[in-house]
Amino acid sequence: MTKARRALRLRVAGIVQGVGFRPFIYRLAVSRGLSGYVVNLGGSEVEIYVEGQPSQLASFIEGLYRERPPPARIEELEIEEAEPQGLDGFTIRRSERRKSRRSMIPPDFGICRDCLREIHDPSTRFHGYYWNSCAWCGPRFSMMYTVPYDRENTAMRQYPLCRECRRDYEDPGNLRRFHAQGISCPRCGPRTHVYTMDGRRLDVEDPVEWAAERIEEGYILAIKGVGGFHLAALASRDDVVEELRRRKRRPSKPFALMARDCGVVQAIAEPPPGACEVLESAERPILLLPKRPGSPVSELVAPGLDTIGVMLPYTGFQALLLERVRDGFLIMTSGNETGYPMCTTLECVFTHLRGIADYVVAHDREIVHRVDDSVLRYTDGELVFLRRARGYAPMWLYAPMELPDMVAVGAELQTAGAVAFEDKVVPTQYIGDMDEPGQVEELERELRWFIEVYSLKPRVVAVDMHPGYHNRGLAARLADEYGAELVEVQHHHAHAAAAMLEDRVPPGEKRAAITIDGTGYGTDATVWGGEVLVARYSSFTRAASLYPFRLPGGDAAAKWPVKALIGLMQASGLDEEETLSILRRRGLLSRDRLPHGEAEARVSYRLAASGRAPITTSMGRTLDALAALLGIAWRRDYEGEPAMRLEAAARGGRDHGYTPRLLSLDGRLVVDTPGLLHWVIENLDRLPTRDIAATVQRGLGRALGEAAARAARGLDGPVYIAGGAAVNTPIVQGIREALRGHGLEAQVPRRLPPGDGGIAAGQLLVAAARLEE
Amino acid sequence: MTWYVRLWKFITLAHGSGGKETEELVKNLIVHSVPPELWKVEGGTGLDILDDAALIPAGENRYIAVTVDTYTVKPIFFPGGDLGRLAASGTINDLLMVGARPLAVLDGVVVEEGFPIEDFKKVMESFIRTLAEERVALVGGDFKVMPKGQLDGIVIASMGIGMVEGKPIVDTEIRPGDKIIVSGYLGDHGAAILAAQQSIGVDLGVESDVKPLTGLMLPLLERYRGSIHGAGDPTRGGLAMLLNNWAEKTKTVIVVDESRTPVRPQVREYAEMLGVDPFSLASEGAAVLAVEPSKAEEIVEYMHSLGFKEAAIIGEVYEPKDPRHAGRVLLKSVTGGVRILEPPSGELVPRIC
Ligand SMILES: [Fe+3]
Ligand SMILES: [Mg+2]
Ligand SMILES: [Zn+2]
Ligand SMILES: [Zn+2]
Repeated sequence: MTKARRALRLRVAGIVQGVGFRPFIYRLAVSRGLSGYVVNLGGSEVEIYVEGQPSQLASFIEGLYRERPPPARIEELEIEEAEPQGLDGFTIRRSERRKSRRSMIPPDFGICRDCLREIHDPSTRFHGYYWNSCAWCGPRFSMMYTVPYDRENTAMRQYPLCRECRRDYEDPGNLRRFHAQGISCPRCGPRTHVYTMDGRRLDVEDPVEWAAERIEEGYILAIKGVGGFHLAALASRDDVVEELRRRKRRPSKPFALMARDCGVVQAIAEPPPGACEVLESAERPILLLPKRPGSPVSELVAPGLDTIGVMLPYTGFQALLLERVRDGFLIMTSGNETGYPMCTTLECVFTHLRGIADYVVAHDREIVHRVDDSVLRYTDGELVFLRRARGYAPMWLYAPMELPDMVAVGAELQTAGAVAFEDKVVPTQYIGDMDEPGQVEELERELRWFIEVYSLKPRVVAVDMHPGYHNRGLAARLADEYGAELVEVQHHHAHAAAAMLEDRVPPGEKRAAITIDGTGYGTDATVWGGEVLVARYSSFTRAASLYPFRLPGGDAAAKWPVKALIGLMQASGLDEEETLSILRRRGLLSRDRLPHGEAEARVSYRLAASGRAPITTSMGRTLDALAALLGIAWRRDYEGEPAMRLEAAARGGRDHGYTPRLLSLDGRLVVDTPGLLHWVIENLDRLPTRDIAATVQRGLGRALGEAAARAARGLDGPVYIAGGAAVNTPIVQGIREALRGHGLEAQVPRRLPPGDGGIAAGQLLVAAARLEE
Repeated sequence: MTWYVRLWKFITLAHGSGGKETEELVKNLIVHSVPPELWKVEGGTGLDILDDAALIPAGENRYIAVTVDTYTVKPIFFPGGDLGRLAASGTINDLLMVGARPLAVLDGVVVEEGFPIEDFKKVMESFIRTLAEERVALVGGDFKVMPKGQLDGIVIASMGIGMVEGKPIVDTEIRPGDKIIVSGYLGDHGAAILAAQQSIGVDLGVESDVKPLTGLMLPLLERYRGSIHGAGDPTRGGLAMLLNNWAEKTKTVIVVDESRTPVRPQVREYAEMLGVDPFSLASEGAAVLAVEPSKAEEIVEYMHSLGFKEAAIIGEVYEPKDPRHAGRVLLKSVTGGVRILEPPSGELVPRIC
């Protein structure tokens, strides 16, 4: 009999702590009749030793994936055959040897099925209790004061366990509540209250019922969630959405929706296969999905776009609220005043959301870390991050090398910071735009928190090269304080390095990367953004770029795409009168498209022609210019708006195959966008707009792909596509089409945002590699 | 030396823009090279405060005020004035802004070989006429010619001397609660100069506001000297630079209400066309004051009576809620919302991604 007995030693890395993983392993092993033990190794690793019948061992491993607690993530699994020791029974061993004192900080998880079931079940004490949570679900990071993740280190310490909760907490047989740090019940957990905007507390018996009624009546409510407040409102009534837009002074930025369940999602959107699993995952992100034509969602929710952002409820309160509103879906947009970060406190709500919300519904648990909703979209069929926050942050990534203790402050807009130690890179949650009041301070607060909880002594502080970024002062202060070296990293080099890190490209190896975005300060003091780099972590060369042109008015040209168009037209050899006559013919001189009309167009042209405007190779601005010329967008209300509208406009369009040529300039290849512009002008009246939109984006992709293929000669690995424009499907398709012809593949980051939210991670790798040299 | 300066390799035009870069360069590469005990004359002010003019004690409640500036402008003759009037007004105004009565000026003129005598004559006449109108003496100077190509046209350096009788106006006395007052339309000079430039010219219909502010400041000082805590002329870098300097020097937060700040519509429009902040455009005939709150209304009314019809209270000085916010200037915009009014940078580098 012992003959058949075999033993396995498993090392599991990932989210395996703070999610009830060891009790689960215990159950799994016992259910398969295996003996052995499980032990925490620290550093987010667990070791499992099992022995028993081979068929049971196989079933155990299968169960490891299939039956794991919903939020558990197995990122690495090493299995080795071991000598059977003839152990009796299975035990959870106390952690004895710890490889690392530093553990992965668990992110916030959406409410699980079992907790939700209990809320609906009149026979449990959790019936109707919004903040029900267990080992498999509920907030973590957002309520942590420090590490480790123990109740007394979280905002739950204000809620001493009642007798019954304590009993559950101490009962090893209670799979979901045994040592689950965040548990509570109506007797001992957070309370929920309703307030008017002048801070008066209303006496409301059932806040969820009350909130649903107010929302149905068309009111806008501020509702406290996990990492901050939402603004909730009806998404089906134009007048309500319009009112919300007016109050938020947000003319066109899309509002996120929350839907009751995937059935409702199917009714308002067209989720591709697999989308529901993502929506229902413990991370519960916002997913951008194609709008379903004729759905009851107001056009004003996402004007000019063919997608809507949808998420599912992730707290009990949200779940019950969505069950009680007739539509089954609501606007749940972040509760902030435009130009400010999302509120996490009542004080903020009463100051910043006055005049926006009508009422407030808030629980009394403190939000320790602001954590926004994560946002993902599909790019050429693959999921990519637009914003990495709730559910994902602050999970770490493994670097392909040992790193000194380091800090990176990221970029300017839509950014996050990061810290590094050992072989780990820990990006902070999405913080936001550094030019908004309070955001640099928020970044500082989060970075210092990570420095403290991971006991880091930073040797390097990495910062972008841009002289005007608002986080430079913070970087300088941190460097001075820690006696660390301040290392400047070129923006697109950081983009490329982030993509390489994710793919664990070993140090020293070179890869080709297409880095496309709005703006990054170049080593030649011009504004880059449509680049092909050949990069290793420590250095890079600029192999190709888009054709440089001037941006009249600098950032003003990003807000008013017609200005960028004028710059591109000037660079394309059109004179002032030709430029004006085209603009006039296309109706682009009206005041809603260029605020000061013809005079502004002339001034803009002259700024470009006289060289008094910054030079750029930006993909973002090139797309803006084309969107303006095609009459698709002429104002930027939010980041990437014109490009997103251009992408939407290309849907269903026929690609006519035009590809801009590659020219040679200053020792690099440049994509002939002036040629592209002339092609567009020639075809404006001949081809449908959607055909032109499809052709120009795919064509730009093809040209960059061709340039990258030349740059990648003799190099290993895929070509990486990074930067904010790397999420654009037609461009990525164009790049892939061109690369395929050379037998090459392209890869877009999937674990980090391809945009500036991923910059900090890349900055760390570059800075570390430079330090090595 | 700060990180900001550590990363520089060459002097660029941005360093001479009068914005953030200029300030950093002056502080790090000049001020810090001077032994601190020589930053000022005992009992006076100097590089320690970097106010419009330095103060040298001259007996009980009396100070000599001195200032120097180098003037260059393209075009040399512009709507509303010329280089000569600009140099004279600038020097006079710098003296007035520390509470001094301007007395005398010395000039240093450097001209490029080949510069038309006719133009030189016009510039110098204008310089001298402006001084004479304000009864300011020209007591000495220097004149040089540089070979063709080594200088573009003409540069005037002008040093002014004045006398403070009573309390000088030293910007470090600005305190929370003070009201910020401006004497009139802002940015006219900057807009007029840009519009007059060939390459980006438009018919703006706005002239430079260049003028000495003697007629405003001397009567104000007469009546309200004790209530004026700070004064400055928003020349290069405009209101944005001036207020950021004040906020930084006094570790305060200054909040400005855009809707109450007088800017001509054409100037605002033109600034928008160029993609520049109208508040960073230069004025050469406007004063910004920080005054005792209880006297603010009265002072504004008095300014109106002196012919400065657009004078207005535009903002207030606050104690920072968070010490990290010290030195910040916030702008309540017309459309609602608040944004940080940054010190202008000489480099117009886009940040929007
Ligand atoms: Fe970027
Ligand atoms: Mg002063
Ligand atoms: Zn649960
Ligand atoms: Zn309880």
